[in-house]
Amino acid sequence: METLLAFLTVFTHPELLLLVGVGTFAGVYVGAIPGLSVTMAVSILISFTFSWDVHPAIALMIGIYMGGVYGGSRTAILLNIPGAPSAIATALDGYPMAQRGEAGTAIGVTTVMSFFGGFIGIAVLAVAAPFVSDFALKFQPRDYMLLAVLGILLVGSLSTGSLLKGIFAGALGIAIGAVGRDPLTFTERFTFDLKLMEGGISFIAVMIGMFGVSEALMQLHHVNKAAVRQKISRIVPSFSTIRKYLPLSLQTSSIGVIIGALPGTGGDIAALMAYDHAKRVTKSPEVPFGKGAMEGLVAPETANNAAVGGAFIPMMTLGIPGDAVTAIMIGALFIHGLNPGPMLMIDQPDMFWFIVGALVMANFFMLLFGLTGIKLFTRIVEMPRAVLIPLIMLLSIVGAYAVNNSISDVYWMLGFGVFGYFMRHYGYPLGPVILGVILSRLLDDNWRRAIISEREDLGRFFAGLFSSPLSTILFLSVVLIFVSQTPLWTRAKARLARKAA
Amino acid sequence: MKHVVFGAVSALALGLGAAQAQDYPTKEIQGIIQWGAGGSTDTVMRAVTPHAEEVLGGTVVMQNMTGAVGAIALNYVADAEADGYTVLMGAENPMLYKIMGLGDKDYSEFTPINILARGTPLLVANSDAPFNDYAEMVEYVKAHPGEVRFGATGPGGLPSVITAMINTIEGKLDYISVPYDGDGPALTALQGGAIDVMPAVLGAAIEGVRAGNMKPLAVFDVAPNSKLPDVPAVTSFNDGYNTYLPWGPFFGVFVPNGTPDDVVAKLSAAYSEGAKNPDFVELMDNRGFTLMGISGDEANQFLTKWQQGTAWLLQDAGETKASPEEFGIARPAN
Repeated sequence: METLLAFLTVFTHPELLLLVGVGTFAGVYVGAIPGLSVTMAVSILISFTFSWDVHPAIALMIGIYMGGVYGGSRTAILLNIPGAPSAIATALDGYPMAQRGEAGTAIGVTTVMSFFGGFIGIAVLAVAAPFVSDFALKFQPRDYMLLAVLGILLVGSLSTGSLLKGIFAGALGIAIGAVGRDPLTFTERFTFDLKLMEGGISFIAVMIGMFGVSEALMQLHHVNKAAVRQKISRIVPSFSTIRKYLPLSLQTSSIGVIIGALPGTGGDIAALMAYDHAKRVTKSPEVPFGKGAMEGLVAPETANNAAVGGAFIPMMTLGIPGDAVTAIMIGALFIHGLNPGPMLMIDQPDMFWFIVGALVMANFFMLLFGLTGIKLFTRIVEMPRAVLIPLIMLLSIVGAYAVNNSISDVYWMLGFGVFGYFMRHYGYPLGPVILGVILSRLLDDNWRRAIISEREDLGRFFAGLFSSPLSTILFLSVVLIFVSQTPLWTRAKARLARKAA
Repeated sequence: MKHVVFGAVSALALGLGAAQAQDYPTKEIQGIIQWGAGGSTDTVMRAVTPHAEEVLGGTVVMQNMTGAVGAIALNYVADAEADGYTVLMGAENPMLYKIMGLGDKDYSEFTPINILARGTPLLVANSDAPFNDYAEMVEYVKAHPGEVRFGATGPGGLPSVITAMINTIEGKLDYISVPYDGDGPALTALQGGAIDVMPAVLGAAIEGVRAGNMKPLAVFDVAPNSKLPDVPAVTSFNDGYNTYLPWGPFFGVFVPNGTPDDVVAKLSAAYSEGAKNPDFVELMDNRGFTLMGISGDEANQFLTKWQQGTAWLLQDAGETKASPEEFGIARPAN
């Protein structure tokens, strides 16, 4: 009974309801603007809500978080500029849809599927949090490393055209991610003794430049082409559409929850892995992937919103943040006089249920705000290019500056923008670069931790791979996926098929 | 006539100048937090600053500036104008930058506004580890060389200082040191069994200890801590630690040298008053931090002593890149 009351706190207090709503609304727009991140918004809110009670403060933060993760998809679909790293995969198929005049449908599907994914994440948090966190703790450095390798194999999925160029782009991304003082030994890497490089290259600046500025430069090629008229007659997807994607979205939501619950990986990696999964399991999409496949929208959007619930799992059960936003929320709970940690669920179960309730509410608000105002948004793409291109540039500059309030990030952003433009021009895919930057540290740090833990002994390292079922499964998946991408496998499969026939 | 005008203008200017210092702050103050959002430094600073703002009658806009072990933030504030409108909110790390080859600046370029609090190190182990206290651990490591995994947070981090102490006092132990980027991730790895032992600040580990997810081996202090009264102080296992303890990481607010004295005085007053707020005191106590609230000469003395002790300890353990002597850091008297 008390549990139910705690869960219903948000629903029965109008001011909390309002705060979740305001937070979600603001989150959608903060998330949509590249460079304005949820992490930043939530950390500003800590000071802003300092004198408030804990419940309203957390309610507002949860709203922003939920809305922000979803909001990133808006600009990804409409402008090919992901508003947040977790929306990178969304741009791959969302933007081609917008170019065909189907932005309304794309946003509609994205919204409903985000809602679905968010709901799965919250449900897992509510019923299985202790089990999932136990499972997440089992991940050893070598498992994180294998996960990163698994991620790097996505290069194949993200490259349209030449795989070789895709691999080059991915490697470049990994190198960009390694610039700066190495976080484990503090040694400088690829800094050329420049103070500017010491802190590393801001990942967000790279992303905004590669997607935003290079997109604006590409658009300059056809300034005079008339903008595509957007069809916005049917926004909410039909029930049969939703049912069609239900099995896929259940799978990608599970990926989202698990990746979200792992401390050290978040919605960005979850969305990319889900995209790859969708590409693998969808045998015959109506539209090919990369050209506007619906599956390519469903997968990342369910996964990144499911990762929200996932990120709360280690936070609520162990006091360990699942991602950057939950790390700040732990700080907020602490400032408000609570002791976030493994005892929180035992001492104050109310807080847990209150958060679950607020998440449910935020999820509903997200659906509401996502489905309204689409008409206004699609106007953006219908604008003449003479207005649109400067707008993209302006957003990119503001976004890059806002990350660290540093002007050098703006220069990085512009530099990578021009570089990205030439990469596109010569048929190098940009997705793998970003993938490389995201995975660079996960791979590098954990490989070193894993091998240091085994006293730098490769034999012991490989023996370790087979000492735990988790590592074995991950290792075998890496091998299988790798082999399945080689010509040898395709030939063997063809021969088997012929024999069977 | 000309002279009169000139005199009047200069008097006005002087008056304005004086009024400016008196009226400080006339605009928003920028507070640069050396570490990321959600970390200990971040949390402590965001918890104390609103109380200090009330006393100060101004606004402090806090911003996290991370990277290069905090050196980016340190250099940013050091290069800013010394007018009290750019404030550094940092931890102990800069005191070791020089000897670790991480930078050429430390807090000697800054005037301490307030050293807020000090943390106590706690040695914790995985709950399945085959030892239950500090003495058993040392014995086990000696009996099983190269097997036990210690978590670390990079050169100059708290674990590196604590293990330097252990190596100095117990003789060099043979263990594997696995680096993590912060005590949070390392403590997570400890609970998952990726590492066996972790020296961490008490506040970061206390909730895990209370829940039984990790076991405490010893408090690195001269007496047990009131938050964990059952955990013995490490000095009860080995007297040798009395030379180095009490030792701990600290949090402080700093402005660049050359900031006008009255501005420093105003800021110091605001922070020492703000740090007395019962909410903040309770919050720090819950996390096992020892409040210090020192400023001025007292703070400078504390910083010098801290730097001498720690730098020479690391130097003697062979963990530095450059000798403290090169930077005029004197060997402590004892």
